[in-house]
Amino acid sequence: MTTQPLAPPRPKSPEAAAPRVLIAPITITPSKPLTPSHLKGLLWTDVMYRATRHLAPVTYRYSHTTYHPTEQTLGFWEFLDRTLGDTDYTHATETEIGAHYVTFRAQTQRPTAAALRPYADAAEHGWVHPASARILQLWAGHYRRLGLTDPGLTLHQPPGLSLEDALSHLDQAGMCLDLRRYGGPVHLDLTRHGLPLRKIVTPDGRPNYLACALRELIPLAPGFDEIVLLYDPELDPDYQLIERVLTRLGPTVHRVPVGRVPIDGHIRSARHGDWQHTHAAALLDAAGDHHSDDAVRLGMRLYFIALLGPGQQQSFRPDLLHQCLTRATRLLKAADTPAGDQLPALLQRHRKDHTHIDPYRLTSALLGKRRPAPPADLLTGVFL
Amino acid sequence: MTTPATLSVSGVQDRLRHQLATRLATARPDLARRHDLTTPAGLAAAQQDIAALSDETTTLAAVVVHHLDLPAFAVATCAYTASLDDTQQAAWRRDFTRTVFLAGNPANLRHRFTFAHTDPAAHLAYTAPGPAAATAPLRRLLKLFDAPARLPARPPTLLTIPTPPGLRPTRPPRHRRLHLATAGCTLAQALVHLNHLLAEAVMDGLITGGDRLTLIQEPTLTTAGPAFAAWRITPHPATPHHTGRLHAAAALTEETPHA
Repeated sequence: MTTQPLAPPRPKSPEAAAPRVLIAPITITPSKPLTPSHLKGLLWTDVMYRATRHLAPVTYRYSHTTYHPTEQTLGFWEFLDRTLGDTDYTHATETEIGAHYVTFRAQTQRPTAAALRPYADAAEHGWVHPASARILQLWAGHYRRLGLTDPGLTLHQPPGLSLEDALSHLDQAGMCLDLRRYGGPVHLDLTRHGLPLRKIVTPDGRPNYLACALRELIPLAPGFDEIVLLYDPELDPDYQLIERVLTRLGPTVHRVPVGRVPIDGHIRSARHGDWQHTHAAALLDAAGDHHSDDAVRLGMRLYFIALLGPGQQQSFRPDLLHQCLTRATRLLKAADTPAGDQLPALLQRHRKDHTHIDPYRLTSALLGKRRPAPPADLLTGVFL
Repeated sequence: MTTPATLSVSGVQDRLRHQLATRLATARPDLARRHDLTTPAGLAAAQQDIAALSDETTTLAAVVVHHLDLPAFAVATCAYTASLDDTQQAAWRRDFTRTVFLAGNPANLRHRFTFAHTDPAAHLAYTAPGPAAATAPLRRLLKLFDAPARLPARPPTLLTIPTPPGLRPTRPPRHRRLHLATAGCTLAQALVHLNHLLAEAVMDGLITGGDRLTLIQEPTLTTAGPAFAAWRITPHPATPHHTGRLHAAAALTEETPHA
């Protein structure tokens, strides 16, 4: 087993005082409609990225290619081909494809490693199942309507390390417990830090999302001073592990859990379906009927970031979303003259002891009753 | 299918049952008093009593396994057992040298946990036998050693049991053969078999520092062949459990010249 040499940390030039920031959120499996929880995470990340860009060089890494090798994606592809066969997904909707995903996730029998292998091999070389390609195409449309930066939804963006090279890197750092020669799994081993062993590769060679994330983040980490990881709170134990692995490579790592959005009091995984009228396309259509494109973009951010906040206590409220859209229309009309050179200083206030901007603090600041009208370039540069 | 009368299957089973009963009676004389261990029914009743013992009151050892090499493991288990004092040995023996095998890297754990013994390569680390609660934090951090693979083929391998530092051998070194049945046996099971057999052999004085063992892996053990001094008897892996048929999973011969 050889290890691909990791890119050495790029030396910081003396004049470049601003730390280099990597924003790396967890991706969403391209198999279903975007739910309010997904929208919240995407909007949260986008505001962070676009605001921080005014202060420091920022890389927004969001590669679906990296996570295709997970069983939930490969298994879905294999399931579609096995149960539907040759199917034209060109005009399929997200909810149609999502309905198949719900059926797939309800299966009790897991696909075998052998059944997934052709899909895993193809995905490594850039192949995407037409059902997921269709989903990503639809999502790209939602991104445009929401004013979200497209981080390359439909691009082939492979991780910098093969699975074996990532494991080899971990092994050299004493962080890998590889039991495959005994017929066992591979564990990520951060017991040195008091964190429990975590299985990352099954005995038959299937990596989980954590292994996929490490393939991507280990080679990226040395090139940054600050890494921001955004994820569901339920994944917190895994992200503590990732933080430990990456911190060793140099950067300061910040974990930013973004709470999900309960529907009628329940936090439900998208794998259960039941999207009703709360998925992205439905929300965008309903909002677009009464509000301008800009008001929809700003209003969605006001609701999903400022109103809902980082926690996950408050259920989705269409009435409050509507109020935010109306508020956004007023804010847009009242927009003040551009802040110009002062914009970075204005944004600086909304960060703590780190470089990246806190989207909640920044967005909430728009809603204060006695706040001055927001500068127009803050709105266009960060929220629209 | 009937068994030809010339093959003495029942004789072998009687011998295995006798060895199993001896092991139970040595560890737990109270069980021998309560049940007639010479009969299959009495043996089964005693085993039910053992199975019903509360985990919380059981004395057990935990072994952290990073890299597994059976000869090194056999040596380490003997050295570990020999390092225990009489009280520790007696408590562990009373619970049938119960041991939990955990996947982990001793190098990552030594700052947080105290181990009674670590092998020279630091691939194996043993906790002192104690109540289950004493190893609960370690067990929460690690996973059971998951090793369903078959044993790799190995030629007979000579092992030397180290003499604890500062101690002189108590008798001239002896050589024995250590047989391990490989048919139907996984690596994880081999660990269990060797661990019980060797730990108890050390306690019984069959193995001591300076002794040598030749580890022999073979599909099955022939109980009619060599004279065995200690046995590891389990339910037969290829027959239903309820039949009560027994199997010699591993065994240690009487002293033999080293060829």
